[in-house]
Amino acid sequence: MDSQIFELRNVHFSYLGKFPALCGIDVEINRGEKIAVIGANGSGKSTLLQMLDGLIFPGQGQIKVFGKELKESDFQDADFSENFRKKIGLVFQNPDVQLFCPTVREDILFGPLQLGMKKKEIEARLEEVVGILGINGLLERSPHQLSIGEKRKIAIASTLIINPDVLILDEPTAGLDPLTTRHIIELLIDENAAGKTIITSTHDLHIVEEIADRVFVFSQEKKIIRSGNPCEILDDIQLLEDNNLIHVHSHRHTGKTHTHPHQHLEHHHEG
Amino acid sequence: MKRHSNNFIEHSLIGTLDFLKESLFAEEFALKKGFLQLLDPRIKVLTFLLLIIQAVLIKNILILFYLYALCLLLAAISRINLGFFLKRTWVFIPLFSLVIAIPALFSIFSPGEALVTFKLLSIKFVITQQGLSGAALFVMRVITCVSFAVLMSITTKHFELLKVLRIFKVPQVFVMIAGMCYRYVYLFIGIIENTYLAIKSRTGTRIHYKRGQQIVAWNIAYLWSRSYCLNEQVYQAMLSRGYTGEPEVLNDFRARIKDWLWLFCVLGICAFLFYLSRR
Ligand SMILES: Nc1ncnc2c1ncn2[C@@H]1O[C@H](COP(=O)(O)OP(=O)(O)OP(=O)(O)O)[C@@H](O)[C@H]1O
Ligand SMILES: [Mg+2]
Repeated sequence: MDSQIFELRNVHFSYLGKFPALCGIDVEINRGEKIAVIGANGSGKSTLLQMLDGLIFPGQGQIKVFGKELKESDFQDADFSENFRKKIGLVFQNPDVQLFCPTVREDILFGPLQLGMKKKEIEARLEEVVGILGINGLLERSPHQLSIGEKRKIAIASTLIINPDVLILDEPTAGLDPLTTRHIIELLIDENAAGKTIITSTHDLHIVEEIADRVFVFSQEKKIIRSGNPCEILDDIQLLEDNNLIHVHSHRHTGKTHTHPHQHLEHHHEG
Repeated sequence: MKRHSNNFIEHSLIGTLDFLKESLFAEEFALKKGFLQLLDPRIKVLTFLLLIIQAVLIKNILILFYLYALCLLLAAISRINLGFFLKRTWVFIPLFSLVIAIPALFSIFSPGEALVTFKLLSIKFVITQQGLSGAALFVMRVITCVSFAVLMSITTKHFELLKVLRIFKVPQVFVMIAGMCYRYVYLFIGIIENTYLAIKSRTGTRIHYKRGQQIVAWNIAYLWSRSYCLNEQVYQAMLSRGYTGEPEVLNDFRARIKDWLWLFCVLGICAFLFYLSRR
Protein backbone atom coordinates (compact mmCIF):
# COMPACT_ATOMS: atom_id res chain seq x y z
CA MET A 1 0.00 0.00 0.00
CA ASP A 2 0.98 3.60 -0.54
CA SER A 3 2.91 5.09 2.35
CA GLN A 4 1.09 8.38 2.19
CA ILE A 5 -1.91 8.64 4.49
CA PHE A 6 -3.07 12.22 4.26
CA GLU A 7 -2.57 14.82 1.61
CA LEU A 8 -4.23 18.22 1.86
CA ARG A 9 -4.01 20.74 -0.95
CA ASN A 10 -4.91 24.38 -0.37
CA VAL A 11 -7.67 23.49 2.06
CA HIS A 12 -10.00 26.19 3.35
CA PHE A 13 -12.71 25.73 5.92
CA SER A 14 -15.04 28.06 7.76
CA TYR A 15 -17.70 27.37 10.35
CA LEU A 16 -21.21 28.31 9.21
CA GLY A 17 -19.61 29.96 6.22
CA LYS A 18 -18.51 33.00 8.21
CA PHE A 19 -15.98 32.01 10.87
CA PRO A 20 -12.79 31.08 9.04
CA ALA A 21 -10.91 28.26 10.74
CA LEU A 22 -8.46 26.99 8.10
CA CYS A 23 -7.08 29.28 5.39
CA GLY A 24 -5.01 27.46 2.80
CA ILE A 25 -3.51 24.38 4.39
CA ASP A 26 -1.05 22.10 2.58
CA VAL A 27 -0.10 19.00 4.49
CA GLU A 28 1.32 15.58 3.74
CA ILE A 29 1.48 12.88 6.36
CA ASN A 30 3.05 9.48 5.82
CA ARG A 31 2.48 6.13 7.42
CA GLY A 32 4.30 5.67 10.71
CA GLU A 33 5.09 9.33 11.28
CA LYS A 34 4.78 11.18 14.56
CA ILE A 35 3.32 14.62 14.03
CA ALA A 36 2.75 17.44 16.50
CA VAL A 37 0.50 20.38 15.73
CA ILE A 38 1.16 23.52 17.74
CA GLY A 39 -0.34 26.98 17.62
CA ALA A 40 -2.14 29.62 19.66
CA ASN A 41 -5.76 29.28 20.76
CA GLY A 42 -8.16 29.47 17.89
CA SER A 43 -5.51 28.94 15.24
CA GLY A 44 -7.30 25.96 13.71
CA LYS A 45 -5.66 22.91 15.26
CA SER A 46 -8.83 21.16 16.32
CA THR A 47 -10.46 21.97 13.03
CA LEU A 48 -7.62 20.33 11.13
CA LEU A 49 -7.73 17.22 13.30
CA GLN A 50 -11.47 16.86 12.83
CA MET A 51 -11.00 17.15 9.11
CA LEU A 52 -8.39 14.39 9.16
CA ASP A 53 -10.92 12.24 11.01
CA GLY A 54 -13.48 12.72 8.23
CA LEU A 55 -15.94 14.68 10.37
CA ILE A 56 -15.82 17.96 8.46
CA PHE A 57 -14.87 18.53 4.86
CA PRO A 58 -12.99 21.29 3.03
CA GLY A 59 -14.99 24.20 1.73
CA GLN A 60 -12.28 24.73 -0.82
CA GLY A 61 -9.29 22.63 -1.85
CA GLN A 62 -9.06 18.87 -1.50
CA ILE A 63 -8.16 16.19 0.99
CA LYS A 64 -6.80 12.80 -0.01
CA VAL A 65 -6.81 9.93 2.46
CA PHE A 66 -4.95 6.71 1.65
CA GLY A 67 -4.32 8.13 -1.80
CA LYS A 68 -7.97 8.69 -2.64
CA GLU A 69 -9.91 11.93 -2.53
CA LEU A 70 -12.24 12.05 0.46
CA LYS A 71 -15.76 13.37 0.06
CA GLU A 72 -18.66 13.56 2.45
CA SER A 73 -20.73 11.29 0.23
CA ASP A 74 -18.17 8.49 0.62
CA PHE A 75 -19.47 7.88 4.12
CA GLN A 76 -22.87 6.83 2.82
CA ASP A 77 -21.20 3.58 1.84
CA ALA A 78 -21.40 1.49 5.04
CA ASP A 79 -18.28 -0.56 4.26
CA PHE A 80 -16.20 2.48 3.50
CA SER A 81 -17.42 4.20 6.63
CA GLU A 82 -16.70 1.23 8.88
CA ASN A 83 -13.28 0.73 7.38
CA PHE A 84 -12.38 4.39 7.72
CA ARG A 85 -13.52 4.59 11.35
CA LYS A 86 -11.55 1.47 12.20
CA LYS A 87 -8.38 2.89 10.69
CA ILE A 88 -8.54 6.42 12.03
CA GLY A 89 -9.39 7.35 15.59
CA LEU A 90 -9.72 10.80 17.17
CA VAL A 91 -9.61 11.77 20.82
CA PHE A 92 -11.57 15.01 21.15
CA GLN A 93 -10.26 18.02 22.99
CA ASN A 94 -13.32 18.27 25.20
CA PRO A 95 -13.87 14.86 26.82
CA ASP A 96 -17.46 15.75 27.73
CA VAL A 97 -18.30 15.57 24.08
CA GLN A 98 -16.90 12.13 23.65
CA LEU A 99 -18.53 10.49 26.63
CA PHE A 100 -22.27 10.01 26.41
CA CYS A 101 -23.02 6.55 27.74
CA PRO A 102 -24.38 5.83 31.21
CA THR A 103 -21.28 4.04 32.42
CA VAL A 104 -17.59 4.29 31.67
CA ARG A 105 -17.51 0.66 30.58
CA GLU A 106 -20.21 1.19 27.98
CA ASP A 107 -18.56 4.33 26.77
CA ILE A 108 -15.32 2.50 26.14
CA LEU A 109 -17.18 -0.34 24.43
CA PHE A 110 -19.26 1.96 22.23
CA GLY A 111 -16.75 2.13 19.38
CA PRO A 112 -15.89 -1.56 19.11
CA LEU A 113 -19.57 -2.55 19.28
CA GLN A 114 -20.50 -0.11 16.50
CA LEU A 115 -17.66 -1.43 14.40
CA GLY A 116 -18.75 -5.02 14.86
CA MET A 117 -15.70 -6.33 16.68
CA LYS A 118 -15.98 -9.85 18.15
CA LYS A 119 -17.01 -10.11 21.79
CA LYS A 120 -13.87 -12.05 22.76
CA GLU A 121 -11.64 -9.52 21.09
CA ILE A 122 -13.49 -6.63 22.70
CA GLU A 123 -13.05 -8.09 26.16
CA ALA A 124 -9.35 -8.69 25.63
CA ARG A 125 -8.82 -5.18 24.30
CA LEU A 126 -10.82 -3.69 27.16
CA GLU A 127 -8.61 -5.36 29.71
CA GLU A 128 -5.50 -4.20 27.91
CA VAL A 129 -6.61 -0.57 27.58
CA VAL A 130 -7.85 -0.42 31.15
CA GLY A 131 -4.48 -1.71 32.29
CA ILE A 132 -2.52 0.79 30.24
CA LEU A 133 -4.48 3.77 31.50
CA GLY A 134 -5.02 2.52 35.04
CA ILE A 135 -8.76 3.14 35.05
CA ASN A 136 -9.93 -0.13 36.49
CA GLY A 137 -11.70 1.49 39.41
CA LEU A 138 -13.73 3.77 37.18
CA LEU A 139 -15.48 1.25 34.92
CA GLU A 140 -18.84 1.18 36.68
CA ARG A 141 -19.00 4.94 37.32
CA SER A 142 -20.92 7.49 35.29
CA PRO A 143 -18.55 9.37 32.97
CA HIS A 144 -20.19 12.69 33.73
CA GLN A 145 -19.42 12.34 37.41
CA LEU A 146 -15.67 12.10 36.96
CA SER A 147 -12.94 14.71 37.21
CA ILE A 148 -11.72 16.31 34.01
CA GLY A 149 -8.47 14.37 34.02
CA GLU A 150 -10.28 11.09 34.60
CA LYS A 151 -12.67 11.92 31.79
CA ARG A 152 -9.74 12.53 29.49
CA LYS A 153 -8.30 9.12 30.29
CA ILE A 154 -11.64 7.49 29.52
CA ALA A 155 -11.87 9.41 26.25
CA ILE A 156 -8.41 8.18 25.29
CA ALA A 157 -9.35 4.63 26.26
CA SER A 158 -12.51 4.75 24.18
CA THR A 159 -10.51 5.58 21.08
CA LEU A 160 -7.53 3.38 21.85
CA ILE A 161 -9.70 0.28 22.18
CA ILE A 162 -10.58 0.52 18.49
CA ASN A 163 -6.88 0.05 17.79
CA PRO A 164 -6.75 2.42 14.80
CA ASP A 165 -3.75 2.65 12.48
CA VAL A 166 -3.86 6.42 12.72
CA LEU A 167 -4.30 7.88 16.17
CA ILE A 168 -5.23 11.54 16.33
CA LEU A 169 -5.24 13.26 19.71
CA ASP A 170 -6.41 16.78 20.43
CA GLU A 171 -4.47 18.04 23.46
CA PRO A 172 -4.35 14.65 25.17
CA THR A 173 -2.26 15.81 28.12
CA ALA A 174 -4.14 19.00 29.01
CA GLY A 175 -5.21 18.80 32.62
CA LEU A 176 -3.38 15.60 33.42
CA ASP A 177 -0.98 15.21 36.32
CA PRO A 178 2.74 14.76 35.52
CA LEU A 179 2.78 11.01 36.03
CA THR A 180 -0.25 10.41 33.83
CA THR A 181 1.19 12.77 31.22
CA ARG A 182 4.32 10.63 31.24
CA HIS A 183 2.23 7.48 30.76
CA ILE A 184 0.40 8.99 27.83
CA ILE A 185 3.63 10.05 26.16
CA GLU A 186 5.12 6.62 26.61
CA LEU A 187 1.95 5.09 25.29
CA LEU A 188 2.13 7.24 22.15
CA ILE A 189 5.77 6.37 21.62
CA ASP A 190 5.03 2.66 22.00
CA GLU A 191 2.09 2.80 19.64
CA ASN A 192 4.26 4.60 17.12
CA ALA A 193 7.00 2.01 17.47
CA ALA A 194 4.34 -0.60 16.71
CA GLY A 195 3.81 1.10 13.36
CA LYS A 196 0.95 3.50 14.08
CA THR A 197 0.78 7.03 12.81
CA ILE A 198 0.37 9.49 15.67
CA ILE A 199 -0.92 13.03 15.24
CA THR A 200 -1.13 15.17 18.37
CA SER A 201 -2.03 18.79 18.95
CA THR A 202 -0.61 20.35 22.07
CA HIS A 203 0.33 23.53 23.87
CA ASP A 204 2.92 21.72 25.93
CA LEU A 205 6.23 22.40 24.20
CA HIS A 206 8.09 20.18 26.65
CA ILE A 207 6.59 17.06 25.19
CA VAL A 208 6.85 18.02 21.53
CA GLU A 209 10.28 16.59 20.99
CA GLU A 210 9.21 13.20 22.27
CA ILE A 211 5.91 12.89 20.50
CA ALA A 212 6.95 14.24 17.13
CA ASP A 213 9.46 13.85 14.41
CA ARG A 214 7.72 16.60 12.47
CA VAL A 215 5.98 19.70 13.82
CA PHE A 216 3.40 21.93 12.17
CA VAL A 217 3.19 25.46 13.52
CA PHE A 218 -0.13 27.22 13.06
CA SER A 219 -0.20 30.99 12.87
CA GLN A 220 -2.99 33.35 13.94
CA GLU A 221 -3.93 33.56 10.26
CA LYS A 222 -5.04 29.92 10.53
CA LYS A 223 -2.31 28.72 8.21
CA ILE A 224 0.63 26.43 8.73
CA ILE A 225 3.44 28.92 8.88
CA ARG A 226 6.26 26.41 9.35
CA SER A 227 6.80 22.71 9.44
CA GLY A 228 9.98 20.93 10.26
CA ASN A 229 11.76 18.81 12.81
CA PRO A 230 11.14 19.62 16.46
CA CYS A 231 14.68 20.74 17.39
CA GLU A 232 14.77 23.30 14.64
CA ILE A 233 11.40 24.71 15.52
CA LEU A 234 11.84 24.74 19.27
CA ASP A 235 15.12 26.62 18.83
CA ASP A 236 13.53 29.30 16.72
CA ILE A 237 12.56 31.60 19.59
CA GLN A 238 11.40 34.33 17.25
CA LEU A 239 8.97 32.03 15.48
CA LEU A 240 7.53 30.73 18.75
CA GLU A 241 7.23 34.21 20.15
CA ASP A 242 5.50 35.56 17.07
CA ASN A 243 2.93 32.80 17.26
CA ASN A 244 2.09 33.10 20.93
CA LEU A 245 3.71 29.85 21.88
CA ILE A 246 6.11 31.43 24.37
CA HIS A 247 6.25 34.81 25.93
CA VAL A 248 9.15 36.80 27.24
CA HIS A 249 9.08 36.70 30.93
CA SER A 250 11.14 38.97 33.10
CA HIS A 251 11.94 38.51 36.71
CA ARG A 252 14.58 39.48 39.25
CA HIS A 253 17.41 37.51 40.77
CA THR A 254 19.22 39.16 43.65
CA GLY A 255 18.57 42.65 42.41
CA LYS A 256 19.31 42.06 38.73
CA THR A 257 16.45 41.93 36.26
CA HIS A 258 16.82 39.58 33.41
CA THR A 259 14.50 38.31 30.75
CA HIS A 260 14.19 34.94 29.19
CA PRO A 261 11.63 33.22 27.06
CA HIS A 262 9.05 31.40 29.03
CA GLN A 263 7.16 28.46 27.67
CA HIS A 264 3.54 27.78 28.12
CA LEU A 265 3.34 24.86 30.45
CA GLU A 266 0.07 23.18 31.20
CA HIS A 267 -2.36 25.08 29.13
CA HIS A 268 -5.80 23.99 29.78
CA HIS A 269 -9.23 25.19 28.91
CA GLU A 270 -12.57 23.55 28.59
CA GLY A 271 -15.40 24.32 26.24
CA MET B 1 -33.57 43.43 51.64
CA LYS B 2 -30.82 42.83 49.12
CA ARG B 3 -29.39 40.08 51.17
CA HIS B 4 -32.73 38.55 51.63
CA SER B 5 -33.58 38.29 47.95
CA ASN B 6 -30.16 37.01 47.18
CA ASN B 7 -30.48 34.30 49.76
CA PHE B 8 -33.82 33.43 48.35
CA ILE B 9 -32.39 32.94 44.88
CA GLU B 10 -29.60 30.88 46.27
CA HIS B 11 -31.84 28.73 48.42
CA SER B 12 -34.47 28.06 45.85
CA LEU B 13 -31.97 27.37 43.10
CA ILE B 14 -29.75 25.04 45.06
CA GLY B 15 -32.78 23.43 46.70
CA THR B 16 -34.46 22.68 43.40
CA LEU B 17 -31.28 21.29 41.94
CA ASP B 18 -30.73 19.05 44.93
CA PHE B 19 -34.27 17.80 44.78
CA LEU B 20 -33.99 17.05 41.08
CA LYS B 21 -30.71 15.28 41.53
CA GLU B 22 -31.99 13.24 44.40
CA SER B 23 -35.20 12.11 42.80
CA LEU B 24 -33.79 11.49 39.34
CA PHE B 25 -30.30 10.31 39.92
CA ALA B 26 -30.25 8.61 43.27
CA GLU B 27 -29.37 5.04 42.60
CA GLU B 28 -29.35 4.42 46.30
CA PHE B 29 -31.92 1.64 46.23
CA ALA B 30 -30.69 0.13 42.99
CA LEU B 31 -27.30 -0.41 44.57
CA LYS B 32 -28.59 -2.30 47.61
CA LYS B 33 -28.25 -6.04 47.48
CA GLY B 34 -31.88 -7.07 47.92
CA PHE B 35 -33.99 -9.66 46.15
CA LEU B 36 -35.08 -7.61 43.14
CA GLN B 37 -31.75 -5.87 42.69
CA LEU B 38 -30.04 -9.22 42.15
CA LEU B 39 -32.48 -10.50 39.53
CA ASP B 40 -31.55 -10.48 35.86
CA PRO B 41 -32.95 -7.14 34.65
CA ARG B 42 -34.50 -8.69 31.56
CA ILE B 43 -36.50 -11.17 33.58
CA LYS B 44 -37.37 -8.53 36.14
CA VAL B 45 -38.81 -6.21 33.51
CA LEU B 46 -40.71 -9.06 31.89
CA THR B 47 -42.26 -10.32 35.11
CA PHE B 48 -43.20 -6.84 36.25
CA LEU B 49 -44.91 -6.22 32.94
CA LEU B 50 -46.88 -9.43 33.48
CA LEU B 51 -47.87 -8.38 36.97
CA ILE B 52 -48.93 -4.94 35.80
CA ILE B 53 -51.04 -6.44 33.01
CA GLN B 54 -52.67 -8.68 35.63
CA ALA B 55 -53.45 -5.67 37.77
CA VAL B 56 -55.08 -3.92 34.85
CA LEU B 57 -57.24 -6.90 33.89
CA ILE B 58 -58.44 -8.07 37.30
CA LYS B 59 -61.94 -6.95 38.27
CA ASN B 60 -62.02 -8.35 41.77
CA ILE B 61 -60.86 -5.93 44.43
CA LEU B 62 -59.79 -8.68 46.82
CA ILE B 63 -57.43 -10.23 44.29
CA LEU B 64 -56.04 -6.79 43.53
CA PHE B 65 -55.44 -6.41 47.20
CA TYR B 66 -53.39 -9.63 47.23
CA LEU B 67 -51.34 -8.35 44.32
CA TYR B 68 -50.67 -5.12 46.14
CA ALA B 69 -49.61 -7.06 49.22
CA LEU B 70 -47.23 -9.06 47.03
CA CYS B 71 -45.75 -5.81 45.77
CA LEU B 72 -45.16 -4.52 49.30
CA LEU B 73 -43.64 -7.84 50.25
CA LEU B 74 -41.25 -7.63 47.32
CA ALA B 75 -40.31 -4.11 48.35
CA ALA B 76 -39.63 -5.30 51.87
CA ILE B 77 -37.35 -8.17 50.82
CA SER B 78 -35.53 -5.78 48.49
CA ARG B 79 -34.55 -3.59 51.42
CA ILE B 80 -36.70 -0.67 50.35
CA ASN B 81 -37.73 1.63 53.14
CA LEU B 82 -41.52 1.06 53.21
CA GLY B 83 -42.33 4.55 54.42
CA PHE B 84 -40.42 6.03 51.50
CA PHE B 85 -42.03 3.61 49.10
CA LEU B 86 -45.58 4.34 50.23
CA LYS B 87 -44.99 8.08 50.10
CA ARG B 88 -43.57 7.85 46.64
CA THR B 89 -46.45 5.79 45.27
CA TRP B 90 -49.47 7.31 47.03
CA VAL B 91 -48.44 10.71 45.69
CA PHE B 92 -50.02 9.71 42.40
CA ILE B 93 -53.41 8.78 43.80
CA PRO B 94 -54.97 12.24 44.32
CA LEU B 95 -54.03 13.13 40.78
CA PHE B 96 -55.80 10.14 39.25
CA SER B 97 -58.69 10.18 41.66
CA LEU B 98 -59.54 13.76 40.88
CA VAL B 99 -59.88 13.09 37.21
CA ILE B 100 -61.44 9.67 37.12
CA ALA B 101 -62.42 8.15 40.44
CA ILE B 102 -64.43 10.98 41.98
CA PRO B 103 -66.69 11.60 38.96
CA ALA B 104 -67.25 7.86 38.78
CA LEU B 105 -68.78 7.90 42.27
CA PHE B 106 -71.89 9.69 41.09
CA SER B 107 -75.02 8.44 39.49
CA ILE B 108 -74.56 10.35 36.24
CA PHE B 109 -71.53 8.22 35.44
CA SER B 110 -72.33 5.08 37.40
CA PRO B 111 -76.07 4.49 37.54
CA GLY B 112 -77.27 2.12 40.29
CA GLU B 113 -78.59 1.91 43.85
CA ALA B 114 -78.37 5.18 45.73
CA LEU B 115 -76.10 5.12 48.76
CA VAL B 116 -75.82 8.76 49.75
CA THR B 117 -77.79 11.64 48.36
CA PHE B 118 -76.95 15.26 48.95
CA LYS B 119 -77.69 18.63 47.48
CA LEU B 120 -75.10 21.13 46.43
CA LEU B 121 -75.95 24.44 44.74
CA SER B 122 -79.46 23.08 44.29
CA ILE B 123 -78.18 20.17 42.22
CA LYS B 124 -78.96 16.71 43.50
CA PHE B 125 -75.95 14.38 43.80
CA VAL B 126 -76.32 10.68 44.25
CA ILE B 127 -73.44 8.44 45.18
CA THR B 128 -74.27 4.95 44.04
CA GLN B 129 -73.23 1.55 45.37
CA GLN B 130 -71.78 0.66 41.99
CA GLY B 131 -70.05 4.00 41.79
CA LEU B 132 -68.37 3.52 45.14
CA SER B 133 -67.10 0.02 44.47
CA GLY B 134 -66.01 1.08 41.00
CA ALA B 135 -64.04 3.98 42.44
CA ALA B 136 -62.46 1.77 45.11
CA LEU B 137 -61.49 -0.78 42.48
CA PHE B 138 -60.02 1.96 40.40
CA VAL B 139 -57.92 3.42 43.20
CA MET B 140 -56.71 -0.04 44.13
CA ARG B 141 -55.81 -0.79 40.55
CA VAL B 142 -53.90 2.46 40.08
CA ILE B 143 -51.98 2.08 43.29
CA THR B 144 -51.01 -1.49 42.41
CA CYS B 145 -49.83 -0.61 38.92
CA VAL B 146 -47.96 2.47 40.08
CA SER B 147 -46.34 0.53 42.90
CA PHE B 148 -45.07 -2.19 40.62
CA ALA B 149 -43.75 0.37 38.15
CA VAL B 150 -42.02 2.42 40.82
CA LEU B 151 -40.61 -0.68 42.48
CA MET B 152 -39.12 -1.83 39.20
CA SER B 153 -37.58 1.51 38.42
CA ILE B 154 -36.02 2.09 41.83
CA THR B 155 -34.49 -1.35 42.03
CA THR B 156 -32.94 -1.27 38.56
CA LYS B 157 -29.98 0.82 37.56
CA HIS B 158 -30.91 3.44 35.05
CA PHE B 159 -28.62 2.18 32.31
CA GLU B 160 -29.71 -1.43 32.77
CA LEU B 161 -33.29 -0.38 32.18
CA LEU B 162 -32.30 1.35 28.94
CA LYS B 163 -30.35 -1.70 27.88
CA VAL B 164 -33.28 -3.99 28.53
CA LEU B 165 -35.49 -1.76 26.41
CA ARG B 166 -33.00 -2.08 23.58
CA ILE B 167 -32.77 -5.83 23.98
CA PHE B 168 -36.58 -6.03 23.85
CA LYS B 169 -36.38 -4.18 20.53
CA VAL B 170 -38.06 -1.01 21.67
CA PRO B 171 -37.32 1.38 18.77
CA GLN B 172 -33.94 2.86 19.43
CA VAL B 173 -35.12 6.43 18.94
CA PHE B 174 -37.11 6.22 22.18
CA VAL B 175 -34.32 4.61 24.11
CA MET B 176 -31.74 7.07 22.83
CA ILE B 177 -33.94 10.02 23.61
CA ALA B 178 -34.61 8.74 27.10
CA GLY B 179 -30.92 8.14 27.70
CA MET B 180 -29.83 11.45 26.27
CA CYS B 181 -32.44 13.38 28.22
CA TYR B 182 -31.26 11.77 31.40
CA ARG B 183 -27.65 12.61 30.66
CA TYR B 184 -28.37 16.14 29.58
CA VAL B 185 -30.53 16.95 32.55
CA TYR B 186 -27.61 15.90 34.68
CA LEU B 187 -25.14 17.86 32.61
CA PHE B 188 -27.35 20.95 32.77
CA ILE B 189 -27.73 20.76 36.49
CA GLY B 190 -23.95 20.62 36.66
CA ILE B 191 -23.54 23.57 34.31
CA ILE B 192 -26.08 25.67 36.20
CA GLU B 193 -24.38 24.89 39.48
CA ASN B 194 -20.94 25.69 38.15
CA THR B 195 -22.08 28.85 36.42
CA TYR B 196 -23.72 29.95 39.62
CA LEU B 197 -20.51 29.34 41.52
CA ALA B 198 -18.55 31.17 38.84
CA ILE B 199 -20.84 34.19 39.09
CA LYS B 200 -20.56 34.11 42.82
CA SER B 201 -16.80 33.94 42.72
CA ARG B 202 -16.60 36.91 40.38
CA THR B 203 -19.20 39.17 41.94
CA GLY B 204 -19.09 38.12 45.55
CA THR B 205 -22.34 37.31 47.22
CA ARG B 206 -23.80 40.78 47.04
CA ILE B 207 -25.56 40.76 43.72
CA HIS B 208 -28.57 43.00 43.41
CA TYR B 209 -31.51 40.77 42.68
CA LYS B 210 -32.32 42.63 39.45
CA ARG B 211 -28.84 41.85 38.27
CA GLY B 212 -29.37 38.31 39.50
CA GLN B 213 -32.43 37.99 37.33
CA GLN B 214 -30.55 39.26 34.33
CA ILE B 215 -27.80 36.78 34.90
CA VAL B 216 -30.27 33.95 35.19
CA ALA B 217 -32.12 34.98 32.02
CA TRP B 218 -28.93 35.33 30.08
CA ASN B 219 -27.80 31.99 31.35
CA ILE B 220 -30.84 30.16 30.11
CA ALA B 221 -30.38 31.59 26.63
CA TYR B 222 -26.75 30.64 26.76
CA LEU B 223 -27.57 27.13 27.91
CA TRP B 224 -29.73 26.52 24.87
CA SER B 225 -27.10 27.59 22.41
CA ARG B 226 -24.56 25.59 24.31
CA SER B 227 -26.70 22.49 24.25
CA TYR B 228 -27.11 22.81 20.52
CA CYS B 229 -23.38 23.10 20.02
CA LEU B 230 -22.70 20.20 22.37
CA ASN B 231 -25.22 18.03 20.61
CA GLU B 232 -23.59 18.57 17.28
CA GLN B 233 -20.17 17.77 18.67
CA VAL B 234 -21.46 14.75 20.56
CA TYR B 235 -22.91 13.49 17.32
CA GLN B 236 -19.56 13.98 15.59
CA ALA B 237 -17.82 12.11 18.36
CA MET B 238 -20.28 9.25 17.88
CA LEU B 239 -19.63 9.25 14.13
CA SER B 240 -15.93 9.19 14.79
CA ARG B 241 -16.29 5.92 16.64
CA GLY B 242 -18.28 4.26 13.90
CA TYR B 243 -21.88 5.17 14.79
CA THR B 244 -24.14 4.77 11.78
CA GLY B 245 -27.55 5.42 13.27
CA GLU B 246 -28.21 2.12 15.00
CA PRO B 247 -26.31 1.76 18.25
CA GLU B 248 -25.26 -1.75 19.22
CA VAL B 249 -25.71 -2.80 22.80
CA LEU B 250 -23.75 -5.43 24.61
CA ASN B 251 -26.10 -8.07 25.95
CA ASP B 252 -24.06 -9.26 28.88
CA PHE B 253 -26.91 -10.15 31.22
CA ARG B 254 -26.89 -13.67 32.57
CA ALA B 255 -30.01 -15.43 33.77
CA ARG B 256 -29.36 -17.89 36.58
CA ILE B 257 -31.52 -20.60 38.11
CA LYS B 258 -32.92 -18.13 40.62
CA ASP B 259 -34.12 -15.90 37.79
CA TRP B 260 -35.87 -18.75 36.02
CA LEU B 261 -37.49 -19.84 39.28
CA TRP B 262 -38.79 -16.32 39.79
CA LEU B 263 -40.15 -16.22 36.25
CA PHE B 264 -42.03 -19.51 36.75
CA CYS B 265 -43.25 -18.29 40.08
CA VAL B 266 -44.75 -15.17 38.50
CA LEU B 267 -46.24 -17.17 35.63
CA GLY B 268 -47.82 -19.45 38.25
CA ILE B 269 -49.23 -16.51 40.17
CA CYS B 270 -50.66 -15.01 37.00
CA ALA B 271 -52.25 -18.29 35.93
CA PHE B 272 -53.75 -18.77 39.39
CA LEU B 273 -55.16 -15.23 39.51
CA PHE B 274 -56.55 -15.70 36.04
CA TYR B 275 -58.24 -18.90 37.19
CA LEU B 276 -59.64 -17.18 40.30
CA SER B 277 -61.13 -14.33 38.33
CA ARG B 278 -62.73 -16.67 35.78
CA ARG B 279 -64.30 -18.96 38.34
N1 LIG C 1 -18.38 25.53 16.30
C1 LIG C 1 -17.78 26.65 15.85
N2 LIG C 1 -18.50 27.66 15.35
C2 LIG C 1 -17.91 28.78 14.88
N3 LIG C 1 -16.60 28.99 14.89
C3 LIG C 1 -15.81 28.04 15.39
C4 LIG C 1 -16.35 26.83 15.89
N4 LIG C 1 -15.33 26.06 16.33
C5 LIG C 1 -14.20 26.77 16.10
N5 LIG C 1 -14.48 27.97 15.54
C6 LIG C 1 -13.52 28.98 15.14
O1 LIG C 1 -12.57 28.37 14.29
C7 LIG C 1 -11.25 28.82 14.59
C8 LIG C 1 -10.34 27.65 14.83
O2 LIG C 1 -10.80 26.93 15.95
P1 LIG C 1 -10.10 25.63 16.49
O3 LIG C 1 -11.02 25.03 17.48
O4 LIG C 1 -9.67 24.79 15.36
O5 LIG C 1 -8.83 26.24 17.24
P2 LIG C 1 -7.69 25.52 18.06
O6 LIG C 1 -6.41 25.82 17.40
O7 LIG C 1 -8.03 24.11 18.29
O8 LIG C 1 -7.73 26.32 19.43
P3 LIG C 1 -7.49 25.82 20.93
O9 LIG C 1 -6.05 25.83 21.19
O10 LIG C 1 -8.17 26.88 21.71
O11 LIG C 1 -8.11 24.49 21.05
C9 LIG C 1 -11.38 29.75 15.77
O12 LIG C 1 -11.24 31.06 15.31
C10 LIG C 1 -12.76 29.52 16.31
O13 LIG C 1 -13.31 30.73 16.77
MG1 LIG D 1 -8.49 22.98 19.89
